[in-house]
Amino acid sequence: MDKKAVYILGGYQTDFARNWSRENKHISAMMREAFQGASYQAKIAPAEIDAAFVGNFASELYCNQGHLGAFFADLDSALVGLPTCRFEAACASGGVAILSAMAYIKAGIYDLIFVIGIEQMKTVTPLEGGRFLGAAAWYEKECQGIDFPFPKLFGKLGDEYDKRYGLDDKYLARIAQINYSNAKKNPKAQARDWFMSFEHAKTIGKYNCTVSGRIKVTDCSQVTDGAVGLFIASEKFASEYARKTNTLLEKMPRILGWGHTTTHIEFEEKIADSASDEFVLPWTRRAITDAFKRASIKDCWDVDLIETHDCFTTSEYMAIDHFGLTKPGESWKAIEEGIIEIPGKLPINPSGGLIGCGHPVGATGVRQLLDVYKQVTGSAGEYQVDGAKKGATLNIGGTAATNVCIIIGSYD
Amino acid sequence: MGLDIKSVAVIGAGGKIGSLTGGICAQEGLRVYYLSRSLEHAKKGLNRAIEQARSEVIADNIICGDYDSMLAKTIPYADWVIEAVAEDGNIKRQMYAKIEPYLQPNVIISTTTSSLPLDSLTEGRSKIFRKNFLSTHFYNPPGKMFACEIAATDSTDKGIYNFMKDFLHQRLGRVVVPTKNLEGFAGNRIAFLLFNKITQLALEYGTEMMDYLIGPYTGRLMPPLATIDLVGLDIHKAIVNSLHINTNDEMHDFFVLPAFIDMMIKNGLLGNKAGSGFYKKLEGGRILYYDPASGDYIPAVQPHLVFVEQAKHLIRLGMYREAFEIVKNAHEKEADIVRDILYTYVAYSYNRIGEVTDEQFGIDGIDSVMSSGFHWACPSLMLNLLGGAEETAEKMLELGLKVPDRLYNKTDTMLQILDSGKYFVAL
Repeated sequence: MDKKAVYILGGYQTDFARNWSRENKHISAMMREAFQGASYQAKIAPAEIDAAFVGNFASELYCNQGHLGAFFADLDSALVGLPTCRFEAACASGGVAILSAMAYIKAGIYDLIFVIGIEQMKTVTPLEGGRFLGAAAWYEKECQGIDFPFPKLFGKLGDEYDKRYGLDDKYLARIAQINYSNAKKNPKAQARDWFMSFEHAKTIGKYNCTVSGRIKVTDCSQVTDGAVGLFIASEKFASEYARKTNTLLEKMPRILGWGHTTTHIEFEEKIADSASDEFVLPWTRRAITDAFKRASIKDCWDVDLIETHDCFTTSEYMAIDHFGLTKPGESWKAIEEGIIEIPGKLPINPSGGLIGCGHPVGATGVRQLLDVYKQVTGSAGEYQVDGAKKGATLNIGGTAATNVCIIIGSYD
Repeated sequence: MGLDIKSVAVIGAGGKIGSLTGGICAQEGLRVYYLSRSLEHAKKGLNRAIEQARSEVIADNIICGDYDSMLAKTIPYADWVIEAVAEDGNIKRQMYAKIEPYLQPNVIISTTTSSLPLDSLTEGRSKIFRKNFLSTHFYNPPGKMFACEIAATDSTDKGIYNFMKDFLHQRLGRVVVPTKNLEGFAGNRIAFLLFNKITQLALEYGTEMMDYLIGPYTGRLMPPLATIDLVGLDIHKAIVNSLHINTNDEMHDFFVLPAFIDMMIKNGLLGNKAGSGFYKKLEGGRILYYDPASGDYIPAVQPHLVFVEQAKHLIRLGMYREAFEIVKNAHEKEADIVRDILYTYVAYSYNRIGEVTDEQFGIDGIDSVMSSGFHWACPSLMLNLLGGAEETAEKMLELGLKVPDRLYNKTDTMLQILDSGKYFVAL
């Protein structure tokens, strides 16, 4: 047993369908709910926590509020004096916050860290929000003067697939449909009550207009408010926790492996670099294979589910071959064969993913980990993948400039 | 019995509830016949359904037509007939007589009413019609309000009733609340008691003050008098009068409609649909408030009470329990009004257990319909925030309210509070 193992003790997700601005709530209300919910669910008292880390992309822009870590002191008197800090890597902010917590625990500095991913985005118009998101790319080169830069950039990812391997947009429509269908079973998913069908996803119309290039409304994750809290613990804390909660340490989920890469922020640079590579985004592939190696697993078929970063249908299309479900350029086969659906051979995004569950930018990486935790502990409710023992997450920042892949599971 | 629903006929599909309910069915892939007094009306309903789904493709599942040319061509092929015509017993009875000759023996017929006596609606209909008849009371708009009360008459076939309960939940995603066959069922009985009590208080305190005091910070997405404007004062009157005539409980006097409501209706101040009701929006967004005492519209005075502002601030920070401590302990005389409404809500709801819903469900059914049908914090949560059963019972006695026999705390209240945070708006 790895004596420096890092355990996940559970957490809490806010309802991603909520509009906290319409409720006239301050961002700290969302932090409070995620913290109280996580403490309650994991049965952990505030005084037990050694440090709190925040994953957040751009609260200064969306809420005129920085320094989020300082709000912990307002949540509970036992948290006054707690070391806190914030991590930012665009849409991978949550993922890097978790990796940082893991590093602190592996270094033996802390035994229990509360990680929260959070973003309140409905404070501004979609147009203004679209401009804020441009900060995750090279703003001057890629976003200046463009209303919705990210749909354009991820449309280009689809175009690159089309150029290299061919891409029929019906597979993108199917990805959207599957994610919405999974979201219907997730009581915290943003789109759980929204209408979706394959016909709707593949038809351009008033309500499914083209946003940019080949990207339609249904190809996009939507603007989401949300926070997710998660407890990350050392072997020492987890052993005591297992004893107190009458569970077996061996059965408790832990981080089995991780991969973390960063490459050029500019999309065209990444594409130029991969011109001779079989993978369109080789550094995303590298984060995945690094995680496989560290988890001592052979390939994707050793995990039971994947929670991937489908900010757009094209990014999920990319994840399918980059995880190795198919040969590069053949993601469509996994879609056509039903492999990525529940109960397919390797379900992707049983939670609904970013398209169905929602994408509060800084919270996504933490939400993915919480969902895999739920899956491997058999507590995912209606979207449970039967018998799930191991799962993988892929959280990307910008146009996959930052890539974080984490494998979670228990010993048996 | 082998029941199945593949096709649905909506009678009254030009109206809001008919068209939007039919739209929910079309979204689930059912074939839906939109029948109205004219093809044009039915098409208006179709457009509303498209807007609700935010998708034109659902139109592929919808066939529009008028009664005269399409009843005979569609009703024989429907597995479920949803009647959503005007809230008038005679109109409904005439429609049932008209469709009955075309009904197949196992076709389910449901009405969307909750405020007309069900048994009187099927007078003169065949035994088989009555066996297949029940109420499915959808909340408006069904794309956002997921509650659906279901009520049977003594004649309703149990198999059909149970099938519909499952179908509404599993296929149409409804939060199904089985209720007794009593006027107003559960949701309207409780909500309109409070709405009407607040209109009575508005005579003394005014529109703006009442909506300020019982505003969204008290656990509702919309202030009560603004909600009446949305519902329509004529509808409000019809429901309240029906409840006054057909029910008799400890709060009977609060179902007496204040005279000024009649005056407002007479003057065409029907609410949002008429452009004026309790609120009147002027060009430029300025709002005037109806003054029930004078019958005039008056400008906003923007009330500011310390306890309300403190409670709102705490709600804004997600500190719901602390906000209600402020409301509970405030000394201002206006705080008595807020407490009166909140304790009445809890007392009246718990007192209806066993009367409007089955005893075995406790407060659960009432909780579901108040949150999923009105977007109000549910009674059991309010009980919790007011200090729990013991403390609240004492306060109810002080206020002269009937203390419910079954006033009990729910378990897992922390998650209940967190899950219900959305109903507390810091406004």
